[in-house]
Amino acid sequence: MSLLAEKNTPTVAVQRRGFSEFALRLRVSGVLAFLFLVGLIFSLLTPQFFTVQNATAIASNAAILSIVAAAQAIVLLTRNVDVSVGSMMGFTAYLTADYASRHPNVGAELVLLALVIGLGLGMINGLLVAYGRVSSLIATLATMSLYRGFTYMYAHGQEVTSNKLPKWMLHSVDLRVWGIPALVIVCIFVVVLVAIFLRHYPIGRRIYAVGSNPLATVFYGLRIQRVVLLAYGLSGLLCGFAGLLYAARVGTVTVILASGWEMSSLAAAVIGGVSVTGGSGTVIGAALGALVLATIDNGLVLLGIPEFWRMFIQGSSIVAAAAVDVFIGARIRKSLQGQRFGRRAA
Amino acid sequence: MMLAILTVAAGAWSAQLSPYYLNLDQIADSTRQFIFPGLLALGLMVVVVLGEIDISLASTLAVGTVLFSKFSECHVQVWIALPIVIGICGLLGALNGLLVAGLRLPSLAVTLGTMGAYRGLAFIIGSERGYTDFDDSYLWVGSERVLGDILPISFILFAIASLAVGFVMHYTVFGRRCFAVGRNNDAAWFSGIKVRTIKIRAYTLAGALAAFAALVWVGQYGSARGDNADGAILFVVTAVVLGGVDINGGKGTVLGVVLALFLLGTIRNGMGLANIAGPIQTVVLGGLLTVGVLLPALSASTSHFLHLLLPRRSTPK
Repeated sequence: MSLLAEKNTPTVAVQRRGFSEFALRLRVSGVLAFLFLVGLIFSLLTPQFFTVQNATAIASNAAILSIVAAAQAIVLLTRNVDVSVGSMMGFTAYLTADYASRHPNVGAELVLLALVIGLGLGMINGLLVAYGRVSSLIATLATMSLYRGFTYMYAHGQEVTSNKLPKWMLHSVDLRVWGIPALVIVCIFVVVLVAIFLRHYPIGRRIYAVGSNPLATVFYGLRIQRVVLLAYGLSGLLCGFAGLLYAARVGTVTVILASGWEMSSLAAAVIGGVSVTGGSGTVIGAALGALVLATIDNGLVLLGIPEFWRMFIQGSSIVAAAAVDVFIGARIRKSLQGQRFGRRAA
Repeated sequence: MMLAILTVAAGAWSAQLSPYYLNLDQIADSTRQFIFPGLLALGLMVVVVLGEIDISLASTLAVGTVLFSKFSECHVQVWIALPIVIGICGLLGALNGLLVAGLRLPSLAVTLGTMGAYRGLAFIIGSERGYTDFDDSYLWVGSERVLGDILPISFILFAIASLAVGFVMHYTVFGRRCFAVGRNNDAAWFSGIKVRTIKIRAYTLAGALAAFAALVWVGQYGSARGDNADGAILFVVTAVVLGGVDINGGKGTVLGVVLALFLLGTIRNGMGLANIAGPIQTVVLGGLLTVGVLLPALSASTSHFLHLLLPRRSTPK
């Protein structure tokens, strides 16, 4: 009997671990399948959908959101949330655009400026959450209104129009390499960079560790506060960059730029399989989630469906994606538990 | 206690800022500023005590206002419309509760989703046009005053609601169980409390209160549109947190929330009279929220620091 158990358990364990890995992979491929399905439906419904021109339009629309979704994903991985992403984008966009309008000969240091501003804003969030021990939702809800309010105060009701911005800034977003918008390439590059950072660097792994089991992380000897601070800093950095890109893309920078993006970024991340309870998910998934949202938006516009249906669909898909995640999480926990008991029996 | 002093201080400050402040009519009018977020805050407080969150309440309010507009369009009496709207808003709340407690989804994700979904629903029901031709009976609660034209009816409604919620939370078995669940969800479950039912009930209550808030909104602004109360949730969450309700659940009083509402209402009213621009008001609100949540953490770390400095007292044996 004991021999039988010894022989059996490892295979059972392998099978079970196989299941959890399989389920996680399924989650990402599930997003792809969903994307494919949505694309198929829209291309059947309207002939304008499945064209190269429209595909590039969708990709351009998804590009900036995918960066913000990646930023949101990093914070979500640590079991926190950042609802100030839109305000951070708006703040950075307005300040950099204003700087550029005053210094017409400004060069690439503008990007550096955006990154620094974004990093600073993100660090403030991180300090509040990690060291002030404020619940992340409350802290970022507060900074969301603070950052937006400061943008208003700084702007004094003005806006930076596109003719005040340096030409290279506006042209750079319209550039095309082999027919692909440079914007899309830059965003893919950034997302892949973040993905590599999270997957292959110790600090990246720590972000996952904090999210999947904070207590174990403490016992292991990691300083949770630093990791959370880093996650928020990184999120701010990415939002700053995204804010600059968005400013260049829309041309006219107003104080309400990117308001409501906290919702879309969260939707993208959750749809892309990033768990709100932390520790699981990938930035690639979040970027794919952004692509799904952009595809749905685009299709609804082509079909002439009123814009408010988008809110309804976006909101419902968040709930649905969260439900799928909890379901998969429960299954994985069950299979891991079976594995543990199996070993003990052996 | 702190909050009561702060409210008086804020009132004095406002009186200094503007000569129009100290005027009974004006003060009575100013209470109307926080009635509809106040009703939402009462509902949110119950949910937060359970250790959950509901950020979809402002969207539920919008569903309520457009529903009222539809009933008013069909010339249905408000006394018939009100229970139906309360029922529907309660159902929306119950749906949140079912998703959170029944399926055990994280409440932030769920209510973030339903925040968008309900807002979309409000637009779908009411289409994109606003509605302004309300029957007078619909406006009565939100706009009329009694007792020599001073006391707004909406304020009486708010007082009754806060007394009722206060009674439920602090003097009934249900209320005690809410605190127990918020303090320790698993322990409450092990002691035989039906955690799931309690959570669903709390969300339903919050949704139903949002329907009352919708009626007040309709009376105050005389209009209904899908984007009603968009962004109001910041004010509501600020009031609940400033009122001393622990965002992690298990702590808080209705009195605290009510006082925080008075404080925020006074500050907002004072700033409005002093001609302070809206964005700056938002900054002040955000700053207050930050300070409000940082204070406990700061005081905890200070006392921790003091403990390190002072020689440790040996425990008596």
